[in-house]
Amino acid sequence: MIEPVPTSVEARDRGEPSLELRHLHRFFGRLKAVDDVSFKAWPGQVMGFIGPNGAGKTTSMRILATLDTPTAGDAFVCGYSVVDDPDKVRRYLGFMPDSFGKYANMNVVEYLDFYARAYGLRDAERRDAIEHVLVFTELRKLADKSIDTLSKGMSQRLGLGRCLIHDPQVMILDEPAAGLDPRARVELRELIRLLATEMKKTVLISSHILTELGEICDSAAIIEAGQILAYGTVDEIQRQQASVDIGSAGRRALRVRLASAGNLEDATNSLEKWLLEQPMIKDVQCSIGYATFDFEGDDNEQHQLLQNLMAAGHPIIELHGKTQSLEDAFMNITKGITQ
Amino acid sequence: MSSGEKFFHLTDYVTDRLNPILVKETRQALKSRQFIITFMLLLTVAWLISVFGTIWFGPAIEYGSAGRAFFVAYYYVIGFATLFVVPFGSFRSMLNERDQNTYELLSISTLSPRQIVTGKLLSSLVQVFIYYSAIAPFIAFTSLLQGFDLAMVTLFLVAGLLWSSFVSMIALMLSTLSSSRQWQAINTIGMIGLLLWQMSAAFGISAAGFSESIPFDQEEFWWVIGTIVLTVGTYFLLAQQIAVSRLTFESDNRSSGVRIICTLQFWLLWAGVWVYSHRYGTALVDEDTIVGCAMVSCIHWFVVGLFASTEPDHISRRVRRNVAKFGAFRFLIAPWLPGGRRGLLLLTMHLVVLAAIGRMGVWPEWVHNIVTATTLYAFIYVAIGAAIGRLGQAVSPEFRPAHARVLTILIGALAMVTPYLPAAFGFTRWDNAYRLVEVANPGRTLMIIENAARSSSHYKLVVDDILMILWLGAGIALLVNLRAMITGVTEVRDWKQAADQGSSIVELDGAEAASS
Repeated sequence: MIEPVPTSVEARDRGEPSLELRHLHRFFGRLKAVDDVSFKAWPGQVMGFIGPNGAGKTTSMRILATLDTPTAGDAFVCGYSVVDDPDKVRRYLGFMPDSFGKYANMNVVEYLDFYARAYGLRDAERRDAIEHVLVFTELRKLADKSIDTLSKGMSQRLGLGRCLIHDPQVMILDEPAAGLDPRARVELRELIRLLATEMKKTVLISSHILTELGEICDSAAIIEAGQILAYGTVDEIQRQQASVDIGSAGRRALRVRLASAGNLEDATNSLEKWLLEQPMIKDVQCSIGYATFDFEGDDNEQHQLLQNLMAAGHPIIELHGKTQSLEDAFMNITKGITQ
Repeated sequence: MSSGEKFFHLTDYVTDRLNPILVKETRQALKSRQFIITFMLLLTVAWLISVFGTIWFGPAIEYGSAGRAFFVAYYYVIGFATLFVVPFGSFRSMLNERDQNTYELLSISTLSPRQIVTGKLLSSLVQVFIYYSAIAPFIAFTSLLQGFDLAMVTLFLVAGLLWSSFVSMIALMLSTLSSSRQWQAINTIGMIGLLLWQMSAAFGISAAGFSESIPFDQEEFWWVIGTIVLTVGTYFLLAQQIAVSRLTFESDNRSSGVRIICTLQFWLLWAGVWVYSHRYGTALVDEDTIVGCAMVSCIHWFVVGLFASTEPDHISRRVRRNVAKFGAFRFLIAPWLPGGRRGLLLLTMHLVVLAAIGRMGVWPEWVHNIVTATTLYAFIYVAIGAAIGRLGQAVSPEFRPAHARVLTILIGALAMVTPYLPAAFGFTRWDNAYRLVEVANPGRTLMIIENAARSSSHYKLVVDDILMILWLGAGIALLVNLRAMITGVTEVRDWKQAADQGSSIVELDGAEAASS
């Protein structure tokens, strides 16, 4: 098992985590759907839960939502165990599954009204909660519309509103952007960001659209075959992945940009020729004005490489490590194992 | 504040105090096509009955027993709505929650499983009341006619209401039993068949009641009514508890409620027998009644015992923690706590009580023998199931309680059939003589024990042999399960420690066991 990487100091300073998975296991017969998963999330954090299909994301989320029980280990929401105190956990938790549960013969307000009652809200408290959710999700205009006739985007907004109706501290969103058009996705992303920044909620979100997760998540846990492969803030995971690249294969991906003055094509060709002659450089790939390559050396040797490049008269204006997106990190970390 | 606003606030205040499921289901039901169609159909048919009935009776409507005839017709119309449409609606309501993925959302709200079940049942009752109110003007019309009997009308309407609640409860329970779509489809077909059968049975019984005057002044009549109400009432509670248990979170206690109600049913039956015999003298409670009650009790405990004793023995921390609150008292309540070992203990305790009742001195020898044999059969077969359950769970984590139950039934069926196989394949001749190898067949053996009372001494010797074999079998079954039963009680003591350690316990042993 990979030891959980501590999240940033800023996050730790927020106090007790509002969400914690502690050595969580869930087996279905011989299938280890979740195998010793541990991580934490703090108030105001949006945490991405990333993994290929069948990695154990939904199973872990269902355990957190008190829809399933772990084979071993435990999970805590606001300090309450999902095994020992599921009823208390439910007060602090809003869960949005990947499918929107619709009732027939019901409009938007009636739908929210029912869940408000189901969470024990009474009188003015209930009316205020419904009003607040309608405003937050911008569903006011559709209040009397039958939920059967809502678009996918509006349904997801209503689903999010349902999660929010009892003002939970922790929100678990399983693939909330699946099937949404680009505009609806952006709008949903904004709402989720607001939940964390303005309402200080902890949001655990799973999605396959990693570029979006990269934009809204503070931290992430990457899971495959039931095991956490990487965990930390998004920056940490990207940095960690870069260092894993250096550490494991002893090489780092570098990128060079040439100044556009003069004959750029000749300068590029000259650079490519020079790079191919260097013993510590592999896999050189050039396009006009750019070259990327793998460099087998440490920081001192990289410094020396830069000096040599300048000394050889190449019009270098940039040399930097190739940046890793969350998607790159995901592709590097996961191995495509399916269970 | 205007009167409209006042009314709105009053409604809001009242509905806030009602079960949320009731509010939601009623809102949905009143808007549903099914309700509107049924309601309109009911009014139309009742109106047609009134019009064509009046034409058909002609002048005779003034002096015949037209009031009763009209009521019977209206009763069948409302019976279709309350005994078929409403219970089927309850059944579909729970299935729809699963089909539409709303059940999970409901289960993670702060509503308890009991509130969910009660809410769904209450919404069925609201529909029944609406249908009753629709038919009420027509029944009021019959009161103007000859032959109208208010007592009879009240009895049948109340009985219809109670029966509809009971059937709706059974429908709700059945809807919680299967989550897979295939089973739901089979369940739905079975449910329609069951509803049609019970409706026709209820109509048949009602028809018999309509054709005779009801003996309200006879004590026997009220005994029968009391017995029916009590039986239906306890099965209503049992169905409700099973539905609640099915919806209860996995780490919670799903078993104790069912065990308590089943125990209550057993004691109520024998308390009823005792009260009846005390009031009328034992002569009125004949031997057949006692044997009948003992048979019913044994079947009851066989079914309860088979389910309870094959439950998984692993108990969640949540249950252990809650049980720990009972202190030393938890040893006494151990048989009603979850787990197969304690389930077998519960069965054994009650079979011992039953055998003791059967051996009371007031009954003749054959009653003693038949009750003893029946209890021994129940114990042996359930003990086999319990042992299979434990063995299966030890061998494979994929072995489920249902597997143990099915295997037990198959073993029982095989044991009953095997003695007749040589004759079936022509190796021996068929004859009516009883052989001791047939002891595995309870039906045939109990018949022999009963016949022995009125036949030759040869059979009396056979009965002695039968009982000896059954005692031997029960002894072996007890030995096989004794250690588990003792552990079932003694392990309750350790739950205190487990509970004291709180939530920090990581049950890795369970995970390792599951993966190995």
